Amino acid sequence: MVDTDIWKPVALVQDISPDTHTLRVMLEGEAVCLYDLDGKVCATQDKCPHGNASLAEGWVEDGTVECPLHQGVFDIASGKHQCPPVTTDLRCYEVRVEDGTVFLRAEA
Amino acid sequence: MTCTHTESHEACASHAPAAAEQPIHIERRWPAEGHTRIPNWVYTDPAVFQKEMDIFFNGKTWNYVGLECEVPEVGCYKRNWIGTSPVVMVRTESGEIAVLENRCAHRGAQICWQNTGRVKDFTCPYHQWNYDLNGNLQGVPFRRGAMGKGGMPRDFDPKQNGIRKLRSVNRGGSIWATFAEDAPSFEEFCGAEVLAEIDHMLPGKKLKLLGYSRQLIPSNWKMYLENLKDPYHATLLHTFYITFGLWRADSKSECIPTGGGAHSVMVSHNEGKKVTEATSEMSRFRNDLELLDLETVTPRAEFNRGRVGGAWVFPAAQFGIQANSLKTRHVIPRSPTEHELVFTYYGYEDDDEEMTRLRLKHANLLGPAGFVSMDDSEMLTQCQIGVTGYPDARGVVEMGGRDTEPADYMVTEVLIRSFYQYYRQAMGF
Amino acid sequence: MPQPDDLSPRALRAELRDLYEDYALCLDDGDLEAWPGFFTEDCHYRVLSRENHDAGLPLGLIYCMNKNMLKDRVTALRETTMFEPRSLRHFISGVTVREQRGEHVVAQANFAIMESLSDREPSLNMVGRYLDTWRKTDAGWRLASRDCVYDNYRVRTSLIVPI
Repeated sequence: MVDTDIWKPVALVQDISPDTHTLRVMLEGEAVCLYDLDGKVCATQDKCPHGNASLAEGWVEDGTVECPLHQGVFDIASGKHQCPPVTTDLRCYEVRVEDGTVFLRAEA
Repeated sequence: MTCTHTESHEACASHAPAAAEQPIHIERRWPAEGHTRIPNWVYTDPAVFQKEMDIFFNGKTWNYVGLECEVPEVGCYKRNWIGTSPVVMVRTESGEIAVLENRCAHRGAQICWQNTGRVKDFTCPYHQWNYDLNGNLQGVPFRRGAMGKGGMPRDFDPKQNGIRKLRSVNRGGSIWATFAEDAPSFEEFCGAEVLAEIDHMLPGKKLKLLGYSRQLIPSNWKMYLENLKDPYHATLLHTFYITFGLWRADSKSECIPTGGGAHSVMVSHNEGKKVTEATSEMSRFRNDLELLDLETVTPRAEFNRGRVGGAWVFPAAQFGIQANSLKTRHVIPRSPTEHELVFTYYGYEDDDEEMTRLRLKHANLLGPAGFVSMDDSEMLTQCQIGVTGYPDARGVVEMGGRDTEPADYMVTEVLIRSFYQYYRQAMGF
Repeated sequence: MPQPDDLSPRALRAELRDLYEDYALCLDDGDLEAWPGFFTEDCHYRVLSRENHDAGLPLGLIYCMNKNMLKDRVTALRETTMFEPRSLRHFISGVTVREQRGEHVVAQANFAIMESLSDREPSLNMVGRYLDTWRKTDAGWRLASRDCVYDNYRVRTSLIVPI
């Protein structure tokens, strides 16, 4: 049983798109992108730090996500930027999955 | 004097062929007398103007873009024009200054919309194509399409679709660029005399930007070029010179055409106010006038020691000293009948407060409100009106003789004759 | 005489507005010899582009660092400069008092100058704002400092008459 003061339910795992492997959700006013990496669910900020783009619309491959705007690449699990033009890492969120529901850790 | 070159990255396939490959042929005959005559159609004919843009500005010439101090930090840029082509110079991550075409490789929109600015990279607002500071294309929105549809073809190669980086050099802090990959080296293009003038003004010291002056003059750009190759008019039109002792017709001076007549070096030595035969012949000379603020016409001794003048670096730049005022002049042709004149004033980082103050004070001599220059723009306007009304007539430049040899006096039009000797050959007239 | 601080804001603004109008008339009438009279002895008068002003660059097209330089400019215009005759008309508006500091008042106003030449239609020659510091002297208000910051990208042909 999760402590709902800390962990917020944001989506069902089955809602994550089987085509793009992503889903954009909101957590306390911030856009967050969920990823389904062969069963492992990860979460990062959805807005690319480089431009006004949603990473949920990006291209997921080999554990990385490529921003649709300028093809900047990030490692999903760590959030680390991989190549130009992006030079800033992504903020990552802690994820828990229980009974098919995805929970994100909210700010204390 | 060190000189650093930057190489342009591999040529982009999307380029139009260099204009020189397909020169415009113009059915015009130069007056039989040759370079002592200037036919008025050189100032009015649109086809002549276009050919000049192709051959002179997009050809094997080095063009002034700016000064290093205008782009102090990484990402700082300044836009300019070479002829009618918009360009931008930018300080890259390596510290070198690159010169790029100021247009998106996609559909041609101008990338930099301000005179100066600072960015992390370049993004065209139209379709958000994103380039690094060297012009390499690094991001195309929806390159992979959206929702699995569309996108660029698989063989789309960003390396072939970047912003063209021009071949450029940094000479003592001045940035020059050429569109021609096969132009001679900058040093070869300038020649020893012109290079010496540039190095004299930019001896490798750190520069300090003081500001810009911009004017739009309703005349053909070559009229300004001629004006700066015309010491004959200096003391006759700008009576401020002789009235307040800045220059005299009988001053020790040199007029040296170089580069086959394209460039010129013009120097005069200021020896103060004196009444001689030459001076009193000029009907507007007033011996009784003095300025209340004498500092306006009194330079502090500096490296040039009373030596005034400089070099015209073909096609459109001039480097010169006027009292303590240091500046570059750059001409941007806008149409056959209009050109823009930009002054960039600078000092050195190690100038003391008084020197900076003098540099700013002496700038009163130049520019659109300048004591020895505001008459020029008035005069060029009148010339353009006159030649437009009589496009088949011609100007006469025989002062000092009919030759094109260097002169050690000032009352001569030899630099203009030499220029048109070069011009006829380059343009095929 | 009342100190600037004693004048109500409305009265101060009205007094200054009169001076702005007088200044415009002086130049429009071609009374260049009266122009330096609007300034203090140690005045600063500069005409510079918004480009230079916003970038903190000091270069002015006209840069007078004292009243003598104003007079010299008038002398040069009268005696040595060659220019096409023209009619200039100043339109000054938006007079605003920004700050009062003892005997100094910081104020500003917009200017637009129309130029008419003998064979061409009137055109907008220069447009911008005056950034001023006025000083209360025994002879009345005088300009201790005036920066004419013009919005023009380029000056058309030449700037003969001061702004």
